[in-house]
Amino acid sequence: MKNYVIKRILAAIPLLLCISFVCFVFINLIPSDPAEVALRVRQVPVITEAAIAEVRAELGLDKPYLVRYVNWLIDCLQLDFGVSYTNPSRTVAGELVRCLPATLMLAGTSLVMVILLSLPIGFFCAVYKDSWFDRLTRGIIFMTTAMPAYWVGLLLMWFVSIQLDLLPTSGNGTWKHLILPAFTVSLTYISTYIRLIRNNMLENMKEDYVLYANVRGLPQKTILTKHILKNSMHTCIVAIGMSIPQLISGTIVVENVFAWPGLGTLCITSIFNRDYPVIQAYVLLIGVLFVVFNLLFDILQTLADPRLRNEVV
Amino acid sequence: MLKKFLKNKVAMLTTILIVFVAFVGIFAPILAPNDPYKTDILNKFSTFSLSYPLGTDHLGRCVFSRMLYGIRPTLGLAALTMLGTIGLGALMGLLAGYFRGWIDEIIMRVVDVMLSFPSQIMVFAVVALLGINVQNVILANVFVKWAWYARMIRTGVLKYRDRNFVLFSRCIGNRESFILGRHLLPSIASEMAVLASLDIGWAIINISTLSFLGLGVQAPIPEWGAMLNEAKNVLTTNPVQMLAPGIAIVVVVSAFHLLGDALRDILDPKEANL
Repeated sequence: MKNYVIKRILAAIPLLLCISFVCFVFINLIPSDPAEVALRVRQVPVITEAAIAEVRAELGLDKPYLVRYVNWLIDCLQLDFGVSYTNPSRTVAGELVRCLPATLMLAGTSLVMVILLSLPIGFFCAVYKDSWFDRLTRGIIFMTTAMPAYWVGLLLMWFVSIQLDLLPTSGNGTWKHLILPAFTVSLTYISTYIRLIRNNMLENMKEDYVLYANVRGLPQKTILTKHILKNSMHTCIVAIGMSIPQLISGTIVVENVFAWPGLGTLCITSIFNRDYPVIQAYVLLIGVLFVVFNLLFDILQTLADPRLRNEVV
Repeated sequence: MLKKFLKNKVAMLTTILIVFVAFVGIFAPILAPNDPYKTDILNKFSTFSLSYPLGTDHLGRCVFSRMLYGIRPTLGLAALTMLGTIGLGALMGLLAGYFRGWIDEIIMRVVDVMLSFPSQIMVFAVVALLGINVQNVILANVFVKWAWYARMIRTGVLKYRDRNFVLFSRCIGNRESFILGRHLLPSIASEMAVLASLDIGWAIINISTLSFLGLGVQAPIPEWGAMLNEAKNVLTTNPVQMLAPGIAIVVVVSAFHLLGDALRDILDPKEANL
């Protein structure tokens, strides 16, 4: 088991290197010369060839590609992502740290909503398969998969905030601001997980151990909660865990609809301002989160499920 | 298989709907009652009438005509995206699955890296890098999606490449390109059709999302996502503005989803009763 964990962690390192390399290439593909941009950032009045060459040497831009990559990587490992183009007084890392809490709060609330809503609904859909509740839920799920998140956001904003005047339309501050955006983010995931839990439970119901439990005369309630639900939970927990980075990146659209001051808004603003270092750092951050969470929940799954453990050892 | 397709009501109805919408889009200049670009500021936010079936927007433009013209970028861009995605994915997947060896290794490692990025972030990154432009939206979508197809097609090819009919074809001296194009591609085409019809819905939502954020189709051009972006600004005063484009997106996307599900049922009855 220990060997397996070590093997998985080692296998993730080349992947992380590849991701960082893609991000590094990304900033080198931009149309403008980094040395020239650096001069502009310092508000040098006249940009001459000599000045550019000087800055090139200073920033290490005259060195070979791979050397620059290694230097950049070392900087990144020390959480130094450079300086924002549009606002030179701010570091990229500072910008990310400023916006991260809001996004984490949004993603965290969405995650709680996903778990709280999809588990019971999926459970009841499986238990009462083909009842009116199951049919209705499946209909709603089908609708939500076809709805763009921003439109759902707009509809909710109009209905809940303007018609009913219950919650504020946009902004950040109290818990009231959090509800609508979080629900909008979680909606797609809720429908995915209701379906996942439902189908998992229905598959488990056909297994022999359920038949055996029935033969033993256990009450239906015990069979459903203690046996079937527990067995169906494994895959769902792993799937939810792996989708956490997706949830964080998925806030990008909803944040813009609700003017939520998080990473998503920062990213879109940076795209409009051509603030490449910020975008680069954001992509790198999400990519790394993706790999780390995948790894983490893969290992957790193997730890939790004895069947998988025997396979890998 | 065609018989089964014709028998399946859902598949037939959704296909008819999609073809109908596509035709309406193609013949928009004939069908549209008004010029979608003509502004009439005195007549803004007018309600439903004979000359303006869905009313007018904040500049007095006919919403119905804009909806009809909006089919063009929405469906057209999504179709182009899928064409590029499947083309690139099929090429890479066939190469990897058929020739194996180092080609396979390289392609699959690239695919692994591509799949380790969340697709939405990559779309934004590519658009940011190349600039805000419609072509770049397609490029970005193809760029993030081809890896899924490459992987799926490779698996399909691996399943078929050692079957007797392929071995026979090679024995009688057919060229590799012939085997790939005539034997392997048709064998996996049905699986691809299911995935593609599900993903075209994804592409429509994605493109309209980019347009909504102002990163895709730009303002005066009628596109459903861009129309919703304009509707957002008048949300408090004229909420009706956001209904038509939103409903249109939902209808078209769910038609593609239903078609995908129906196709899967036709091709693989195993999963039908789950």
